[in-house]
Order: sequence, then structure tokens, then C-alpha cells
Amino acid sequence: MLEFLFKYPGTVFTKGNLVLLGAWPVWALMALILAGAALLAMASWRMRARATSGMRGTRMVTLWLLQSSLLALVLLLLWQPAISVATLKPQQNIVAVVLDDSRSMSLSEDGRTRKDQAIEALNKGVIEQLGRKFQLRLYRFSSGLERIEKLDQVTAQGNATRIGENLAQVAAESATLPIGAIVLASDGADNTGGVDLETVSLLRRHRIPVHTIGVGREKFQKDIEITDVQVAPRALADSRLSAQVTLKHRGYSQAKARLTVKSDSAVLASQEITLKAEGALQSESVVFNAGTAGVKNLQVAAEPLTGEENPNNNSVVRLVNVENRKPRILYIEGEPKWELKFIRRAVEEDRTLQLATILRTTQNKIYRQGISNPAEMEQGFPSKVDDLFAFQGIIIGGVEAGYFTATQMELLKQFVDRRGGGMLFLAGRGGLQEGGWGKSAMADVMPVVLADRKGTFHRDPAYVELTQAGRESLICRLEESPEKNAERWKKLPYLADYQETGTPKPGAIVLADALPSSKGRLPLLITQHYGRGRVGVFATQGSWRWQMLQPLADKSHEMFWQQLLRWLVQDTPGRVIASTPKPVLADETRVPMRAEIRDRNYLPMSDAKVSANILGPQGVAGQVEMRPDPLVPGTYLADWRADKPGAYVAEVLAKRGEEEAGRDVVNFRREDGIAENFGAEQNRELLEKLAAETGGKYYRVSDLAKLPAEISYSEAGITIREIKDLWNMPAVFFLIVLLRAGEWLLRRRWGVV
Amino acid sequence: MRLRSVILALGALVALMSIGYALQRGRMLFDEDDAPIPIPPDANEKTEYAFARLRYPSFRGGSSMWSMRGNWTVDYPKADRQFVQGVRRLTRIHTRSMEEVVDLESDAVFNFPWIYAVEPGHWDLPDHQCKKLREYLLRGGFLMTDDFHGTFEWDIFTASMNRVFPDRPIVEIENKDAIFHVLYDLDERFQVPGIIMFYTGRTYEYDGVEPRWRAIYDDKGRIMVAICHNMDLGDAWEWADHPRYPERYASLAFRVGINYIIYAMTH
Repeated sequence: MLEFLFKYPGTVFTKGNLVLLGAWPVWALMALILAGAALLAMASWRMRARATSGMRGTRMVTLWLLQSSLLALVLLLLWQPAISVATLKPQQNIVAVVLDDSRSMSLSEDGRTRKDQAIEALNKGVIEQLGRKFQLRLYRFSSGLERIEKLDQVTAQGNATRIGENLAQVAAESATLPIGAIVLASDGADNTGGVDLETVSLLRRHRIPVHTIGVGREKFQKDIEITDVQVAPRALADSRLSAQVTLKHRGYSQAKARLTVKSDSAVLASQEITLKAEGALQSESVVFNAGTAGVKNLQVAAEPLTGEENPNNNSVVRLVNVENRKPRILYIEGEPKWELKFIRRAVEEDRTLQLATILRTTQNKIYRQGISNPAEMEQGFPSKVDDLFAFQGIIIGGVEAGYFTATQMELLKQFVDRRGGGMLFLAGRGGLQEGGWGKSAMADVMPVVLADRKGTFHRDPAYVELTQAGRESLICRLEESPEKNAERWKKLPYLADYQETGTPKPGAIVLADALPSSKGRLPLLITQHYGRGRVGVFATQGSWRWQMLQPLADKSHEMFWQQLLRWLVQDTPGRVIASTPKPVLADETRVPMRAEIRDRNYLPMSDAKVSANILGPQGVAGQVEMRPDPLVPGTYLADWRADKPGAYVAEVLAKRGEEEAGRDVVNFRREDGIAENFGAEQNRELLEKLAAETGGKYYRVSDLAKLPAEISYSEAGITIREIKDLWNMPAVFFLIVLLRAGEWLLRRRWGVV
Repeated sequence: MRLRSVILALGALVALMSIGYALQRGRMLFDEDDAPIPIPPDANEKTEYAFARLRYPSFRGGSSMWSMRGNWTVDYPKADRQFVQGVRRLTRIHTRSMEEVVDLESDAVFNFPWIYAVEPGHWDLPDHQCKKLREYLLRGGFLMTDDFHGTFEWDIFTASMNRVFPDRPIVEIENKDAIFHVLYDLDERFQVPGIIMFYTGRTYEYDGVEPRWRAIYDDKGRIMVAICHNMDLGDAWEWADHPRYPERYASLAFRVGINYIIYAMTH
């Protein structure tokens, strides 16, 4: 209809420029329009006196506007308006028809695969018509681009969809070939996150329009898809881990689904969830035990539901390196107290953690436990960086800040900030504000602004209640279900004492509150990150009652302390930290690797020689030298190509001269044939945007009739400019009639005809 | 005549036993035992540690004299209050000046992870108390027993203790054990007598000639029950301020007691 009214396809108007072919200047047209409008206005004004009352005011202005518009239109037509548009010269240009050959195109919808839908649509005259006007080049693409002779060479077995990379390759051919346009038939399910700006600007520079044909359903009718799983890449043995699972679904609102975490077919966790609104991203956390040391291939899955169209997007694999290390924690306590005994007992139940304690038994004596040799800390708290930084975590019990020398205080601060260690402050007569920590150098590090007064420590009972953050936190997770967990905390025996901490700092997270009978609600367990490390405050020394006042079989006390202390040390780095942002390569080969190297003082080491020795499947072995990152001191980068699918392990070794600075291991895994299972709905938004950005147009696979005609209007390749007259458009005629008829109808309505 | 002789003989025997019992308890020489003990002004202070004395049912079998009073009260409360003064002065333990009496009938005992039982050679724990004591110790509680002597009292002690822990042996504590080194090095230990020595001239009672430092350990090698057999640390605490009680005994008794508390607070 629109094309009938305006005579030309919409593409002509969007791509062309309006020109006036008449010999007279444009200013003359404008002047005549203004003069005509003025004359009509004067005529109307003169007639005002003789006009009936019904024809004054707004009505007269309306009639004047209609008359002036008609005059302007007629004058415009005298100046011969036309559209100037670039058009591909027939038979001299190439049109590239690029078909998606990835596996997502093999999904069957209404009995036909997406690939078949695309080929059938193109074969219904599109290819033939294009072939009459242009030279055609056929391509298929998945992870790479390949030229084909016939459409039936498309098999839809490719492992990836990389639209951007492959379009860039086609565009690059335009340097030697007159490519006038690209026709891309795809579901748009790109695995690289979309078409990058570089590719779009390349296409725009070559002025190649990309006409996209959207294949496949924009929305599945019934499907669950796991879109992402976040899990810590490293863990201590027997740690609790949380997998943050993001999923979405179609057609299962309020249905129950089951999330599972498996490792080598052993189920580590199974959790029922209720699916929320359709299409919206839903986040769930599944808690599980990391188990014994070793690299774990975790399969996180949503069990398929009845009638699901694409069950292949229900699970993802993540790697977790369960480390065999045993972090050491140094706990200094200012006076004998039951808390120390029961913390020690809780840690003794943990195969991973090691606890060394310094206890001030009398004014002049200390008692050490958990030391590695008789001489360790014989003189008391460490004063040397090597001695202190050998630990991964520190607990400051009820000991006054003044007990530490200035050197020790500075080391404590650097332990968190630079070393990246964890530090936990406990309450007590000499703890927190009572010990002067609020005015010490460590005040900056602490997650609370300590109350500036004495008398903050109370030997009175206080119950504990988790905050919302505490319910989700692994530190406080005594039960798998957050609701049951919160209830269990409420049933814990009261603490023997508590301490007023002051105000939590911005960025600090309060995980639990103390509820003493007389003081309302006070922050009890507060954590925050500081520098490279972590700091926490647990404002009591009376959690031992959880052990003594509950049955022997109850493990609340042990679990809490083990989880708190694991949090304290789990992320404390060594001098070498190796990592990769892509531990699981889904149909990819490039592995970016990164290593942070620190010296003995944990300052960035920029003069190290860093190499990665890699072992892979089927005897793959290699070594890659890592180059310093000029932007980040102490950071080294390298890329590795994983040519074969399977598990890889890379040991990163750092040396300064002949001295070894340290080593670390990073694991990664190449998995083939999985990327295409995800994001398999037609990404219409991507295809429309790509077409719009490059001057092309998006077509449905069922509506390609106009494609052969519209593709001609392009500025790429070999073009001519065509002039398209506008004066004889039916729309102009109808507009003239409309203006005159409108005036007449209004006059009749107002009774002045 | 014959009947009168029997009655006289029995009367004399009862009188002798009464005198002996009184002497054993120090009633005659150390009659301050009956003087009222003032309540310390800071008796209600809330502290980390309180001396918790275990109240238990006494053994009713054998001689009826053991039924005359509750044995758990021996040396109470002077020994307790005098001992905690030493704990306060010699350590950094925040200590209450007044003792706490606990029993195994209520759960209040779980608030006191260190308890002291005197004269357990006279106790007779019913089954439900044995069960509670077992639970208390396995959760992390610590029991110090003291002031029982000889084979006969040992047998009475173990009759109850074997029902608390039928599966755990009572063993000698080795010198190298942390309990003898946690604050004071106590390699050189000797028998700490009660005040009975002033009457008998001996540091031991009955056939308890050798002091025995014994214990029951948990599965992790930690002492749960510290058994001071053939010695009377309680008397040493109680009479440490008496000019006639030798300092060396009092000193060792305080050191042992303090070591046992700090051990319990660290293991």
C-alpha cells in the first residue's frame, strides 16, 4: 500500500536524497510560498468584517492553513521534487549470500530445521532474482567462513556462530571485489557476545549494507536455559562453595525445577526452585561441598522439564581447582578465655586449616600452640615481614593495640593491604575499642568506625539474628536452605557476651546482629575487603556457648568457625597467582593467561622471568613465555592455543635470576559442541541492529519478496545515481484532493457554503 | 556383764572413729573452718572464669559415717575463694572472686567449662548424672577431681566414673603432657597432704602412699578428667594462709590448679 502511494520502496527514501530539479532557485520557492500565504491571510482578514460570527477566529485560521498548504504543495511541485539514490549497476556487482552453518540452525521448528527454512526461502525466487541482477557468491559460516557453490552444502554442524569475524572477512574481500551488499541468513545466536564495533565500522567504511534474514523462533514455547554459572575457580578442600546459577525459561512460570551440581556423576547438591516470570533472568545459589583436593569438573544443570524444546542448554561445566594447601592462621589472645579453646577445637576438626595461637597467660608469659617448631614466635608476635607474611590469616583477640610495636602495627596493616591476607578482630576486655584499636593505625582497616568511648564490652547474654546478607553468606550457612538457616540461627543459644562495635563503614557487610535484651540490635559480624585482603569483626568472645549448650551431635559452632576462618584465608594469595578468564573454552581455542608476581614483601615484581608449562590431552605439551603487562606492574600475560578438546594444566613459574619467586597452577578445559546449545532463540535485536548500523534491512525468513528489489539501493560496489521523480506520486494527488475536500467539508459543517 | 562389755566396746569404737573423723577434717586444730567466710565485695562481678564446685550425691554404702555430710562441701568455700585469689594474682584470667556451685541435675553446669569435684572417693553418681557428665565432658567441659585416697576410695570413684566413660581408660599423665607445662613447668611433683599430716605425721592417707596424677583423655588426646589421687590440693588452697601449713605444698597446689585451668582454657 505504501509503495503504491509513494511509488518507490521505502529504501529509496531512506537511502536517497531529496533534490529539486526545477531551474528556479529554492529561495524563490520559499518567497512565493510566504507571499502566497500572506496574500491569503490578508484576504481572510478583509473578509472578516463580512463574515458571520461562525467564521471568525480559529475557524478562519484553519481555512487559511488549508489554503496555504495547498498553495505550498502546488508551488513545490513546480520546482520538480525528486529523490537521488545510489543504485548498484546491474551485472557489475557481487552480492554475498552468507548462511549460518552452526548447529543451532539444525534446531527443528514446526517440523523443519532452521537451515531448511532459510534455504527454502532463498530458493523461492530470491536467489534467482538476485542472480539476474548480480553476481552471487555463496558462503557458509560458523566459527570460520567458507565459500560454497550451492546452498545445500550448508549442513548446520558448525560448533560456533561468529557473525562479526566472518562478516569482516567478507568485507575484506571488497578491497578486490565489487561487493555491493551482503545477505546474511542466520538465527543471530552469536557465541561471541555480538558483532563488535570494529566490524561494524569496517562495514560502514566500505558502505556495504548487510541485509539480515532472521531464521528461527524469537521465543521458544517451552525451554529452560542456564545462561551463566559463577563459581570460585579455587577452593580449599572440604570447603563449602556456592554456585550462582542464572537461568531463564519460556512457558514454565511458577513450575518447579531442580538444579543439580555434579562432579564426575556424583551429585554434590540438588535443590528445588520455583521458576519465576517468563523470559526474566533468575538467579539462584546452590551450595555444595568442594570435597577432596583435585580439579573438579562441575556440571551445573537444570533437570529437563516435560515438553522442553531445547534440553541441550540445561547444563554448563565449570572448573574448580580444589587445592591441597593448608593455610595457617595466627591467633593472638590477650588473656585466657573459653573462646580460644573452642575455636581451636573447631579448627582441629578441619583437615585443611591450621591454627597457631599466642596466648598471654600472665603479664610476662605467653603460651604458644600450633607452632611449627619450638623457636617459632618464641619472642612473641612476629616483628619481621617474612615471619608474619608466612601466615594467610590473623585473628586479633582481646589484646590491646598498645601491645604491638609500631613496626608490628605497620606489618599488620600491610598484611591485609599488600599481602592480601585476612584479619579478624574479636571482642574482649582488651578488644576493639576497649583495647584502643579505634585510635590505632588499624582503625582505617577495620570494617567499622569504633565507638569513641569505653565500656563497650558487656558480659550479658545476646541472641544472634542473621541479616539478609548473612542468610546468603557461606560464612553463616549452617543449613542449605536460606530459610532453614535463618531459623537455625535464631535457635542458637545466646552468646555469653557481646561488644558494641560502632557504625559499619560504607562497603562493609553486616552478616549478623546481636540482640541483647537491653540494647536493641547491634552489628555482630561485619566483613569488608581492604586492599588485596579481607577484614572482619566478630564482636563477641562468647560463641563457645553454642558448643557447650547444644547436644554433642550439633555442629553449629564448628561449622561456623570453620567457614569463617576459611573465608579469612581462602583467597589469600601466594607470591604467584596464575589465572585465566576462560577456564572453560566453549568451542574456543584461545586461552588468555595472566600471572601476578610479588616479591618477599608482596610488592609487584616487574623484573621476573615468567613462563608457563602446559600439559594437555593426548600428549599436548608446550611452554610459553609470559610478557610483562606495561600497564600493571607485576602482571604478566600470555596467550595459548588449545588445539585439542580436553583438560589442560598450566604451571606458571616465576624467577628472579636463579631464585625462584614462586609457582602456581591454573587449569582450563576446552569443550567442543556446547556453545551452540545456548542463546539459541533468534536474536532479532542483533540482526536488526546490524542491518540498521550498516544501511541494510532486516527481513523475516517468511517475507523475502522485496529483498531482490531493495538490495539494489547501495553505495557499495559499482553504482550509478538514479533520479526518481516525486511529482507523480499518487500520494501527492491524494493530498491535493484531501486539502481541497477538507476545506469544503469544513465550510459545509460551519454552514458557510 | 557380757552385754555391758560389748556396749562399752562399741561405744569406745564409735568415740574413737568420731575423734579420728574430726581430726581428719581438721576440726580440732584448724577450727577456723567453722568461722563464717565473708562474701567478697565483688562476688557478683561478671567474669570469664568462675571456680565451679560440683555438688554430687554421696556414697551411702559401707560405713555410715560417710553419710554424715555431703562430701562435695569439703573445704568449701574457703579453699575456693582462696584459690581464685591466687588465680587472679598470678594469671591474666578474668576470675570471679566467689565460687559457683553446680550440679548435674540442671543444664547450668554447661555454662562452666571447668568444674572441681572434691572427695570423689565418696561420690555416687546416679545414671542420669553419669550421662550428663559424659555429655558435658565430650562437649568440651573439664573436670578436676581431688582429695581422695587409697584403694577403697579409688574403687568408689571408679564405680561412678566407669559408668560415665565405660569405654575410656584412666591413665597416668606423662610428664611431657601440656597440662604440666602450660604455665608452670611441673616436672617435679610431690604428694600434697591435707592437714591430717599434722596428726598422723604422714603426707598420705589410708594406703594412698604414692600421689597419682591421672586422667581420662578424649579421642584427640585432650584431657577431659584430671584425677588428683592420693593428695589433697583443696586443703593446701584452704590452709595456704595458715602459718603451720608448709609453703611448698601450697605453692605446688596453686600451680597445679592454675595449670589445670589454663589447660582447660586452651585444649
